[in-house]
Amino acid sequence: MRLKKKYFLIFIVFSTMFYNSVCAQDSFLDVGVRVQKTVNLYWENGVSIQYSNKNVKPDNLYFGFSYVSSRLGSAYNSNAIKQDYFLFNTSWYFRKQHVLRPLVRLNLGYFMADYEEPFFDDLTNTSLVISPEAGLIVDTKSPLKIMITLGYNVITGDGEQGAGTLYPLFIQTTISWALLRQ
Amino acid sequence: MGTLKAIERILLIIVFMTVFTGCDKEPEILDLMLDGKFIYDPSLDNPQDYLLSYSNPTPTPEEASRPVFIAVHGYSASTFEWEEFRTWSAGSPDYAISLVLMGGHGRTYEDFKNATWRDWQKSIVDEYHRLVAAGYTNLNFLASSTSCTLIIDLLNASYFSDKVVPRHILFIDPIIIPSSKILSLVPVIGPILGYIEGGNTPEEDQYWYHYRPQETLNQLNKLLTTVRKQLEDGIELPPNCKLKVYKSINDPTADPVSAVLIYKGLKTNTNGPIEIEMVNSDLHVFTRLSLRPNLKVMDHENQENSFNDFLSRVL
Repeated sequence: MRLKKKYFLIFIVFSTMFYNSVCAQDSFLDVGVRVQKTVNLYWENGVSIQYSNKNVKPDNLYFGFSYVSSRLGSAYNSNAIKQDYFLFNTSWYFRKQHVLRPLVRLNLGYFMADYEEPFFDDLTNTSLVISPEAGLIVDTKSPLKIMITLGYNVITGDGEQGAGTLYPLFIQTTISWALLRQ
Repeated sequence: MGTLKAIERILLIIVFMTVFTGCDKEPEILDLMLDGKFIYDPSLDNPQDYLLSYSNPTPTPEEASRPVFIAVHGYSASTFEWEEFRTWSAGSPDYAISLVLMGGHGRTYEDFKNATWRDWQKSIVDEYHRLVAAGYTNLNFLASSTSCTLIIDLLNASYFSDKVVPRHILFIDPIIIPSSKILSLVPVIGPILGYIEGGNTPEEDQYWYHYRPQETLNQLNKLLTTVRKQLEDGIELPPNCKLKVYKSINDPTADPVSAVLIYKGLKTNTNGPIEIEMVNSDLHVFTRLSLRPNLKVMDHENQENSFNDFLSRVL
């Protein structure tokens, strides 16, 4: 076990050295785990992939995709409703050279809840998702980035239309690793 | 550095506005509102006209075994919410009705503001205890909206397990998820709001609180969150207790998805499902039609069908 820990640390150090040794105008591909809490409702967790191209505002403008689900959160081993978000993200990361970087993001996507029984078929269980986010990234200047944002779903249910468990306010944290930088 | 300073300034402005606008928010209460000092629920002065435990505290054996509906209203409402069922029953000798007023309700704005959801629930428990002490054995709950949530909390606590078990629990438009998702933001923006208005007609203002103080919205939010989590963990009914939910498929107050959460979270003591009926209605508490404008034929049919269904279960 001590040997595995040693090799892991060596890997981290060399990755960081290599990561910082290449040119600043690079493309980035960050892959991470997203942990999300809807205020007054569920934990919905998943994955996030973000990409920035060296020819289009590198390390400022990011495009990506996130999948979060209550199946990986509150609905795991409970009676909470199983619901999924499929989100396309467009983000702007400010202050490129700094460690603490504000960001803004716009998500556009799709929400789907599984009510399971046919007698609930009359209830709306899907929705378009439009949600701005704003927050901070800790850009460690290594492959590791830690993001925290506050987001707001513009479209929510209201008892007469829309999905009932699509709530407005959420907080999310994404811990990502740069799989690619070139 | 410039960006951080700008963020700091924006946050300071938000805090200042919050403090400034959150101070001293008292509503204008009129004499003709339930919220005021002149109109209050009549059960407070004449409990014997509403509560069976007061009107018949010493039942005969036959009366004690006759079905009793303990009928409880929803948030901000009063005993008026189930008056139509009592009128429709027209003094039937086959069953009795006890109309319960929740704690903090039917009184004044201040009473409402200062009551917790445990206070709301206490009245239900008190009447249930009085009826059990009086010897009634055939007890059934008829609950609407928030009173359904309060009863689910009692079921979660296995409250009835060593007492007289309710034979039937009938929920009309129960709320676990509110239709207005702004309620989820009340812990944050409540102090700014102070209160919200209920959107009642002037006639309804005599029977429902016009103003909903943010303190009561916080209590409602806490209750809904507590019971939602109880359902997520799973709740078992006591033996020989049947539960049915009647839920409007369009409901501006209690999101219809509440029925999904109750169906998933509540099971009979043999791990069987509870009964659900999704009703083609766009009313909240579709069993109450009095004082509503623009009613449709379907609304009257829904009420009639549900009242008959209640009786078919208990008789």
